[in-house]
Order: sequence, then C-alpha cells, then structure tokens
Amino acid sequence: MRALKPGLVRAVVGAAIGAVIGAGSLILAGIVGMEITDGEILGLGYLLALIGFLFGIGAFRFWLTWAVGREVNIEEEHAAHGTAGDWRRYFLFTTDHKVIGVQYLATAFTLFLVAGSAAMLMRFELAQPGLVLGKEAYNEIFSTHGAMMITVALISIVGGLGNYLVPIMIGARDMAFPKTNALSYWLLPLPILLVAINPLLGGFDSGWTAYPPLSQQANLGQQAYLMAFVTVGVASILSAINFLVTVFRMRASGMSLMRMPIFVWALTVTSVLGLVATSVVAGAFTMLLFDRVLGTSFFRASRGGDVILFQHLFWFYSHPAVYIMGLPGLGAILEIVPVFARKPLFAYPLAVLSFISIGVLSFMVWAHHMFVSGMATFFHIPIMFTTELISVPTGIVFLSALGTIWMGRLHFKVPMLWVFGFIWAFLIGGITGVFLADVPTDLTLHDTYFVVAHFHYTIVGGAIFGLFAGTYYWFPKITGRMYSERLGKLHFWWFTLAFNATFLPMFWLGIEGMRRRVADYPPQLGGVNLWVSFAAFNIFLSVAVFVFNIVRSWRRGPQAEANPWRAQTLEWQTASPPPIQNFDHIPTVSSGPYEYGGGLGVPAEGRATP
Amino acid sequence: MTPPRRHLWIAAAIWAVLSIVGAVLVAGIQIIPVIASREAGIENSAFVLLAVLSVPVLMFVVVGLAYSAIWFRANGDEADGPPIHGHRGFQAAWLGISFALVIGLFAYGAAGLVDIRGAQTADFEVQVSAEQWAWHFTYPSTGATSKELHIPVGQRVHIVINSDDVIHSFWVPAFGIKQDAVPGRTTEIYVTATVAGTYPGLCAELCGFGHTNMRFTTVVSNRAALKAWLRKQKPGSEGSQPPPSGSESAS
Repeated sequence: MRALKPGLVRAVVGAAIGAVIGAGSLILAGIVGMEITDGEILGLGYLLALIGFLFGIGAFRFWLTWAVGREVNIEEEHAAHGTAGDWRRYFLFTTDHKVIGVQYLATAFTLFLVAGSAAMLMRFELAQPGLVLGKEAYNEIFSTHGAMMITVALISIVGGLGNYLVPIMIGARDMAFPKTNALSYWLLPLPILLVAINPLLGGFDSGWTAYPPLSQQANLGQQAYLMAFVTVGVASILSAINFLVTVFRMRASGMSLMRMPIFVWALTVTSVLGLVATSVVAGAFTMLLFDRVLGTSFFRASRGGDVILFQHLFWFYSHPAVYIMGLPGLGAILEIVPVFARKPLFAYPLAVLSFISIGVLSFMVWAHHMFVSGMATFFHIPIMFTTELISVPTGIVFLSALGTIWMGRLHFKVPMLWVFGFIWAFLIGGITGVFLADVPTDLTLHDTYFVVAHFHYTIVGGAIFGLFAGTYYWFPKITGRMYSERLGKLHFWWFTLAFNATFLPMFWLGIEGMRRRVADYPPQLGGVNLWVSFAAFNIFLSVAVFVFNIVRSWRRGPQAEANPWRAQTLEWQTASPPPIQNFDHIPTVSSGPYEYGGGLGVPAEGRATP
Repeated sequence: MTPPRRHLWIAAAIWAVLSIVGAVLVAGIQIIPVIASREAGIENSAFVLLAVLSVPVLMFVVVGLAYSAIWFRANGDEADGPPIHGHRGFQAAWLGISFALVIGLFAYGAAGLVDIRGAQTADFEVQVSAEQWAWHFTYPSTGATSKELHIPVGQRVHIVINSDDVIHSFWVPAFGIKQDAVPGRTTEIYVTATVAGTYPGLCAELCGFGHTNMRFTTVVSNRAALKAWLRKQKPGSEGSQPPPSGSESAS
C-alpha cells in the first residue's frame, strides 16, 4: 500500500482529515446553536489541516519514535536522505539539504511566476486611466502580488541556494538538523496554497503590510494571509537556527570564520536577523488575528487599543526583513565577482564587518516607514540618522565589488552580467533611498510611486538579480549540466532593459504625485503608465526565456565539469552534482576562499589547483 | 599595457567631467511640480541638493563599471588578475567620505525638518476629519464646516487631523505636507500657503476600495475672500458645497 507510506498522498489525506475535523466540529457547534464565526472555522480548520499535512508527509515519524522510546529504524532514517537520481525524493520528506535546496528553488520560482502574473494584471489595470478590473479587484491583486513576492524574496536565496550550498561551502556533510530542515520546507506548501486561493475566501485588500484597522475590516481572505504569514515565519525561525548551528559547529578543519566564503557570512547574518526579528512580526500578526477572531483589542482604538503600535511591531521585523531579502543577494554577488574577475575579493574583512553592521543597524531604522504616521516628531531625528548611517556599510559592498573588478581580468559569462546588472540596480535603489530617509523630501514622496520604484530597485535589484546571478552560477553544480549561454544572455539583456524601462519612469510618476495602491490616476500620466505596462510585460516574457533555458538545460544540457568556472571555494572541489554525502573525503582548508592570482594561495587538500 | 596609475587618472578625469556636467544640469531644475507653500519650497531645495550630491556618487560607480568592462576584459586567456586583497588608503578614504556625507546629509535634513515643523503657533486653524471615503473640514473660528479646504494665503495654518474608522493620510501635493489621520489619535501639521489658487488634495494611505477616489479640493485665497466665504457657510452643514471636483482624474 504505497498510498499509506509517508508522502504527498498521505499528506493531502492528512490535511483533508485535519480540515474536516477542525472546521467540521465548529460548524456542528454552530448548528447546535453556539455562536461560531467564519473566522473561527477557518482558523481551526487551517491549524488542524497543517498538523495533518505534516503528519502525513512524515515530518514527525522519527521524533515520535524516539519520544515513545522505540528504536529508530536506521535504514529507514538513511533512506530519508533520498536516492541520487530519483525524482520522487523531491516530493517526499527528504532530509538531504541539496534536495531541500532544490525544493525551495522550485517553489520560489513557481511563486515568482504566479506573483508576476498578478503584476501583469496590475499593469493591465494601470495601462490606461479609468477602471477595467475595478478598484476592489485591483486592491486584492496588488495585496496578493506583494505577499507572494515578499515570500519569494525571503525564501529563494536563503532557502534555495543557502540550503544547497552552505553545508558544502563550509565542508560539512549536511545541515546540523536535517529533519528540522525538511520540516521548515514542508511548513510552506499549505500557507502558500492558502494565499493563492485567498480570492475564494473573499480576498484581502489591505496590502502585505496589513495595517489595522483596515485589516480588521477586511474579508476572510485577510485572515488567511495572516495565518499563512505566521506559518512562514515559524519556518524561517527554524531555518535560521539550523543555519547558525551549522555554520558555527560544522565547519571543516581549517575553515576559520575569516576563511568562510562571503556568501556563508551573508547567510549567517541573515539568519541572526531572521531568528531575532521574525518572532516580533509573528507576535504582531498573532495579536491582529486575536483581534479579528477572538475579539481582543490590541489594535482597536475604539476599545483602548493602539493602531500605531502595530506599525512599530510590524516594521521592527519588516525593515530587518528587507535585509533578510537583500543580504543573501549581496553575498551571492560578492561570491561571484572574484571568480569572473580572477582577483581576490577586495577588502574581504571589511565586507564581513559591513554585513554585521548592516545586521545590527537594521534593527534601528524601522520607524523611517512611519515619518508621516503621527509618531512623535523628535523620534524622526535619530531614525533619520540611523537610516542614513546604514548607507556606510552598504556602500562597502560597492567598494568590495568595484575594487575586485578594477584591474581584474573580466570574463563576461552570464553570472557576471547579472553582477553588473545588480550593481546598477542596487545603486539606484540606494541613492533613491536617501531621498526617502531624508524627512523633508520624504514628506512629499511618502506613499507615492517613488517608493514603489525605490523598493523594486532594492529588492528586485538585491534579491532577484542576486538570485538569477546565483542560479546561473551554481546551475552546473546543482544539476551537473550547463545552461545555454546564449539564452542566458538574452534573458539578462531583455530582463534588465525591461526592468529599468519599467521602474525608472515610476520615480517620475511619484514625483508627479501618483499615489501607491490606487487603481486609477490623472489622465496626464496615461502615456507614461502605458509605457510602464508595456515594459513590465517584457519583464514577464524575459522570465519565460529563463524558465525555458533552465528546464531544457536540466534535461538535455551538456554535462558540466566539476569546476567549470575555475573557482576556489569548496563546493567546486567535489563532483557536479555532489554525492549525497557531499565529499568523498572531508577537505582540510589551508587558505582563504579567493586566492586568485597566486598570492597566498597554497592549494589545500581537496582544493583544486587552478 | 597601460600602467595601473594611468587607468586611475583617466577614469578619475572622466568621472569629474561627468559629475560636474550632471550636477550643473540637475541644479537648475524645480523637482516638485507645483510649489504653493513655504514647506514645499524647503522640500524642493532639499530635493535639488540631494539630487546634485547623488550625481558624483552615481557617476563614480557607473564610470568604474563601464571603464572596467571596456579595459579589463580577459579576452579569452585564462590568466589571473593581480592578487590585490585591499588597499588601506583607499578603504580609509572611502569610509571617511561616506561618514562625512552621512553626517552632512543628516545635519541638513534635521535642519530642514526643524524648519518645516517651525513654531507651534498659527494664525488660523482647521480641523480635518477623515472617514471612508470622504473628507470633512471644520473651522473653529466660526464653527463652519465644508467638504472643501479653504485657507488664507501667507498665514500659518494649523491643521488638526482625526479619523473615524481606518488610517487615512491628508496630503496636498502642492503644499508638500502629508500627515496620517489615525483612529484614536489626533495628529497635526502646520502649513503656510504662499500662492493663492485651487489645488487637489488626496488620501495617501490605503484605506479600502474607495481610496483611489478619496480626494478633496483646497482653495487658497486672501483673508478677506476667506472671511466672506466662511460667513456663507452654515455651521454644521455641508450642503452648500459641491462635491470634490475630481480635478485629479477624469474618472
């Protein structure tokens, strides 16, 4: 009876049973006369469905066996790593970090396409002044777009590339807690599905920021989003703990902290942020859920609650979250630059220090999202200072990248093209950020398209350009095959030109007074908006080239060598794709990760000689 | 082969020329499209200054990238670049300039903020009440109410803002002021209009599906005209006013 073995089929059955028990019992209680709200039915139904799903997929089977004091079947536990070359392991509770990384990547790119489609609907509505889809539909579409894209930016590099690469880069055989790792991933499908189907629950129209009181008025779809967000938050916290323990306890001999690849450093700081900040927003969203479902008044002004408190709690997480999205991208870029410039990473210790400083400072800048919220005027001053101060460590990333490129011997392979695209986009994002950090200019720019353009330049620039760069760079390692260089270049140029053509004009729209989150605008802005819609459609088409390239190359691309880029970090010193245990022998490390040009570089055991 | 130092000098010269040309071009433009208040004037100056300063920063990175892309290509060979791990002087200069820029920007921004907020005194007061999806204005001096905002030109106006339901944001783009209307709190802002005329006002914070059309009209007139208008308003009734004229959109 294969269907009864732990797996997707049993997970779906488990979820269905959970949902029926949870929702059904409350519906029955309603029938016998108790006062039951739709929110309570959805809440309990979802909670039990999630637990049923996890039991079904097999998330708890080893832990439960231990808990009741029985012997764990060692063979079964080993089998949970999956068998190389077996596609079914991607749909099971597989504990191999490389499988989990691919699961995250596939999930993130799928979600990217869905959220991108939502963006196409938005640009369809905004292509001309006047209304096509309608104001209600528009609000629901941009809320869903925002919620999903935030998830993509949060999980793609950390969950995908991070899971796949961090253990290999530090010379470990797996993450510290492989079962927790798989659990973090399998917590995601249900909440993502819940956000995807939220239109069936009436949709939610308060944006991904979910400010009360608007989010307290909104439909049941709003509650679905809040519950989904909290679940994804739990997954992030588990994954952050896992990364930290892995990095600090499982490095190969000789891999001192200052010999770690910069990408690993980026993920380490990201994990600290995820661990510390996520619990705050999970708390805020839970309080909001209680307000909605259980009748509490944390954020109900009419009953003594405080709506501004929510914004403080929300942004205390969500500003560090910008760096949870951005730092892994910065790390990936700095990882790639030395390889294609054939030079050591410029000012490596300073770059490490800058990541740590960004991490610390990111906790002190949240209130710049609230310059017009009505918080005390004096508080604007220190927040303006810390916000501008964070540009110093962020600038060091540019110093490192430029310093490495200067006098290098540049190979413009596809990953390097994305590096250049990244630097340009992140630079525009950084410079325009200063106009929003400065309170006098923010007073006029706040909540306009200037902000929309700015955060797309930072988050698409930081996370998505980094994701594409990293995906092309590590594609041969992950799949053992080479992507098509020509299609990759086509994707890069098409995407980058379309991206800039879409978002550069938005700065102008914002200065002209076009507000965020409106379905309609003054007729004199119609021409530029039509152009923006046209350019946005081109972004979507260019991503189709990427998907085609990846799918085709994975199935039929030419075999890749173990180290096609002549890189020096450990992941390139093992086979492509790496064996289940990553290395035949765990390497001993005797030099830094970027000793190009023969400087100090003495090849270590297990480290290839260039 | 060009020696490293010469590359630096050439790139620096290109950077300097582009920065100066760019900064001069940017310095001349008015960025905020309509400026009808003292506050918007301050903001426009800040905007122009930041734009001028951002030109050399932008050009530094762009010239660095473009110059490298042209001159430092590998041309098919597999040789490595020089094993340079860093440069103390350059790193120190980079850090020093970054810190100096940040401190300068902060001081300028803080001064601008203090200037905009100004003294907490006013010649005229208006109470703004926001709800889904309409604006109501009350004039305490006469008790009049209206759906349009009328204020005097050249006088400091105290705007007191409340909301009955969700968060809205009071925004008159030509005044350069924006302030959320928060349920359970009273927020306030001061403005001195400098040019008489009619200006669109908007809700800037997402407040539900009526948000797109939550607009109002602002009329800035001289004190005498304002007094005459106020006398015509009956206290507590908004009937005499036409609805917002929708000057921002045809829809």
